Amino acid sequence: MRGLIIAVIVLAAAPLGLPPFAMTLLTEALILGLLAMSLDLMVGYTRLISFGHAAAYGLGAYTCGDLLLHTTLPLPFAVLAAALASGVIAIGVAWTCTLAKGVSFSMLTLAFAQLLYAVAFKWTAVTGASDGLAGIPRRAGPFGLTVFQTKNGYYYLVLACLLGAYAFCRSLVQSPFGAVLRGIRENEPKTLSLGYNTRLYKIAVVAISFALGGLSGALYSPFAGFANTDLLFWLFSGQVLIMVIVGGKGTLIGPILGAAFFMLLEHVLSLYTESWALFFGLIFIGFVTFAPDGIWGLMRRRARV
Amino acid sequence: MALLELDGLTKRYGGITAVNGVGMRVEAGEVRAVIGPNGAGKTSLFHLITGVVVATSGEVRFDGRSLSGMSSYQRCQAGLSRTFQLTSLFPEMSARENCRVAAQARLGRRWQPWGGAGVFREASARGDEALERLGLTEIAGRPAGLLSHGDQRLLEVAMALAQRPRVLLLDEPTQGLSVEETLTAVETLAGLLADGTLTVLLVEHDMEVVFRLAQKITVMHRGTVIADDIPSVVKQDAAVQAAYLGGYA
Repeated sequence: MRGLIIAVIVLAAAPLGLPPFAMTLLTEALILGLLAMSLDLMVGYTRLISFGHAAAYGLGAYTCGDLLLHTTLPLPFAVLAAALASGVIAIGVAWTCTLAKGVSFSMLTLAFAQLLYAVAFKWTAVTGASDGLAGIPRRAGPFGLTVFQTKNGYYYLVLACLLGAYAFCRSLVQSPFGAVLRGIRENEPKTLSLGYNTRLYKIAVVAISFALGGLSGALYSPFAGFANTDLLFWLFSGQVLIMVIVGGKGTLIGPILGAAFFMLLEHVLSLYTESWALFFGLIFIGFVTFAPDGIWGLMRRRARV
Repeated sequence: MALLELDGLTKRYGGITAVNGVGMRVEAGEVRAVIGPNGAGKTSLFHLITGVVVATSGEVRFDGRSLSGMSSYQRCQAGLSRTFQLTSLFPEMSARENCRVAAQARLGRRWQPWGGAGVFREASARGDEALERLGLTEIAGRPAGLLSHGDQRLLEVAMALAQRPRVLLLDEPTQGLSVEETLTAVETLAGLLADGTLTVLLVEHDMEVVFRLAQKITVMHRGTVIADDIPSVVKQDAAVQAAYLGGYA
């Protein structure tokens, strides 16, 4: 708890000490951290391995982009609406995907994300096809609020969303609902036989996970000013899954660290070599083999010793 | 009216009839055992009652209401709690948490996605009570996966009991236990059933266990019921002797 407060204070003070380019990186890291944390609800807490979490990100990013380009909705409302839309669409997705279990479930999530990827290429009116959506504005408001238009103002918006989402997820996994998710993770047939409609719980957690993933995507498109099909690509889904596992699944904090680690490493390694992904792959193998609890697991082990 | 009634219950898999027109009446407060040789259809019968498998024909009535069309979790919600032939627990949770999650399933706010102190308190109280009745209070804090096989079998019964079921279905509660473990388990179960408030349907292989616990016995052979009576009568039944008991009595 004390560590958390210190982390929040450091993050809140970051704009005072960091140069603008570093703030851009940090903002993006927090956005990705939110995405990875949302996936952790499925992967770490319910053992629903999704290979298609880019779908949540892309849905949020495109929806928010379209709302800002074609309506007069103020930025914070557009972001929230996009998150909500992503969660609602996920109910249908989850209904379909939860017909299957295990690897088949994972394949269906991948198939769904690829379907959206294909749609994004064809549906020019909404997604701009291969050009994507460009020039997405950070519209002022509500009440003429312009603070989110600045670099640091936007950073605080992202930070607030991440902290709010973290508090929400923490409360969720500790609630009676969270206890059922844990039951599903450890023994789904038993959970079902105890009288829980496990499919409904799974659909609910996928919808919540997608809403938060959508929130993350919705924060990304006004931040970057564009949205394109890369956001929906299967490779990106895989990267988010790697962030969760390297950071430490089933911990919420871990995946946020994993996302930051991934971004930092990509940034640093790509200065030296074009094949940075190769080295990241080796690091990933190292974590899975020697530290399955991830970065957060290592830090906690350290703290205990 | 019997609490649990089976009427012409049949299950066919292709050309094989696993359960063939089984009828049975379990009165409230009764402890009934279903016995029979391997492949007699005992576990299939359990699956039909709990809704894991859908019947080809026939009906299960619980408290006068047909359970047809109800899934396994709905039947559990209605008051049928079961254990499995092969131990099925939450291995990483403590024994206490196992019972808490089981009890939570029967509480109104089991799905609440925030807070939940009240739900947990009530569920823990029911779970701890069940643990105590099965003599597991001492090991309540240990992860279920690390318990001895005997304690795991009893923990599964405790989980079912924590749900305060109207009918408790036990699928071979002493399956895989050593002779000593079986003795302990049977005495614990006998103590549990002594006050006659529980209605129990029990599938069991071990005749010692059956004759110690059951008030009524249904004998199955090749999917059909060949005897249904009190233990002393069943023991003497010629058809049962031929099919199964093999001179036990």
